[in-house]
Amino acid sequence: MVNSKMRYAILAGAVALAAALPVKAEEIISQRAIANLTNNCYACHGPAGKSPGTIPSISKLSAKRIISDMVDFKSGDQKSTVMGRMAKAYSLTEIEAMAHFIAASNAPAAAK
Amino acid sequence: MKMNNMNRRNFLKLAGATGATAVLGGFAGKAGAAGAKARVIVVGGGFGGATCAKYLRRGDASLDVTLIEPSSKFVTCPFSNYVLGGFRTMDSITHSYTALSGKHGVKVVHDTVTAIDPAGKKVTLKSGKSLQYDRLVVAPGIDFKWGAIQGYSEAAAEIMPHAWKAGPQTALLRKQLEAMPDGGVFVMVAPPNPFRCPPGPYERASMVAHYFSKHKPKSKVLILDAKDAFSKQGLFQAGWDKLYPGKIEWVAGAKGGKVVGVDTKKMIVDGELDKHKGAVVNVIPAQTAGSIAIKTGLANETGWCPVDPNTFESKLHPGIHVIGDAAIAGELPKSGFAANSEAKMCAAAIVATLRGEQAVFGSFVNTCYSLLTPEYGISVAAVYRITDQGIKTVPGSGGVSPKDANDEFRRDEAKYARGWYDSITAEIWG
Repeated sequence: MVNSKMRYAILAGAVALAAALPVKAEEIISQRAIANLTNNCYACHGPAGKSPGTIPSISKLSAKRIISDMVDFKSGDQKSTVMGRMAKAYSLTEIEAMAHFIAASNAPAAAK
Repeated sequence: MKMNNMNRRNFLKLAGATGATAVLGGFAGKAGAAGAKARVIVVGGGFGGATCAKYLRRGDASLDVTLIEPSSKFVTCPFSNYVLGGFRTMDSITHSYTALSGKHGVKVVHDTVTAIDPAGKKVTLKSGKSLQYDRLVVAPGIDFKWGAIQGYSEAAAEIMPHAWKAGPQTALLRKQLEAMPDGGVFVMVAPPNPFRCPPGPYERASMVAHYFSKHKPKSKVLILDAKDAFSKQGLFQAGWDKLYPGKIEWVAGAKGGKVVGVDTKKMIVDGELDKHKGAVVNVIPAQTAGSIAIKTGLANETGWCPVDPNTFESKLHPGIHVIGDAAIAGELPKSGFAANSEAKMCAAAIVATLRGEQAVFGSFVNTCYSLLTPEYGISVAAVYRITDQGIKTVPGSGGVSPKDANDEFRRDEAKYARGWYDSITAEIWG
């Protein structure tokens, strides 16, 4: 458990700091695990987080904003209908990793 | 070391790509692992199959992915109850495959799979053609146990529609509701577990009551249930008391709700205790995995398909994956949302396996919204992980909408139900 959390934590950093870090195979595999966690978000928030309807888009949010929102949904400090129920299922390190993944997916450079 | 640099560069370039599985694509190709294009065939273009086809291509653009689906357009079961409620059109719940073929590089073949040869890795189509695969995904949805209720057959469904596969059956049931006289009873026969869309029958009852409240104020809804409990029961029943007092009657299996037969000429439903006459009768029969899964030997004695929860690979035929309603997926419900979640995990596992890598797990998610009126929504939501006991809800998370929520909360959930539909259909067919 600790091990997987640590790997997520390393990865959240890796997305931001990849230029400065050598990337090992293990970290890349974990990046896939994060994708497998994050792809579920898009069922409600739309493709890559761009919602075509009434559910808020998350594609333009910074990782920082996603993390703080999720932490508040999880604690109940921010009211929600469904998000709070979901947020309780994720650890902080997972939330951080998913937030960085979503933000990186939608960064201008990633559009290519 | 040189290789490491290459890895890193690809990683940097692709770290932001939506499917991070794509990260591995660069150097897998460089390492010479890719020979001829791997062929993956997906059988069924519903919530599970169409998602899987798209995510396979997204995970590895070099894959040769063929989606085989009989219908040229797909009508979703989710939101089909709102057609019955009178505030959604058939067109608005119908989706085409043009984006999958045009934008996402999936070969879409409109045909029916008549046979699967697991040993020869081959599917045979109704048109007579046969196709080879390296990996097969079977997403056939459900079929019905015709004859489980005496007198209820495919022909009987033209008189007493099931409308549990959306399309002409939905339109037929809507037409019957419009034609029935004010004061007539809508009788629904609700199925035994497990079945597609656990809250669906009760949302449907709500939608029919909504329609009656506008157009047939003397009519009532009678639900004859094989079960003694149902999904979101407390929320549904509290909502019915508030919104439709005295208009929806639910009879539990133990109290005479079990139905043994139907008479389509007299429009009578035979319960274990009483006979009930309906102006419109909606029989939702007991279900199994889609017939192609059963025919191929992918289902066990339960009529559903046992799979490895990590990959959704069949426990009975390796090399074939079964996703969606047809699969035995632990605590995951048989819902379109769950099928979408399973499909993404399955696609990632197939991409990894074809590269000789290990599948990596994430999580599954499901939310089922139900409307009691167009402005009154309730939901059940959960995140799932794989445990020693199979796929389980994460403890302390998920659950149903609060029972004491105010009107604004119910309105928001109805609003988000519509948003969910827009998002997931764009995610799948967009």
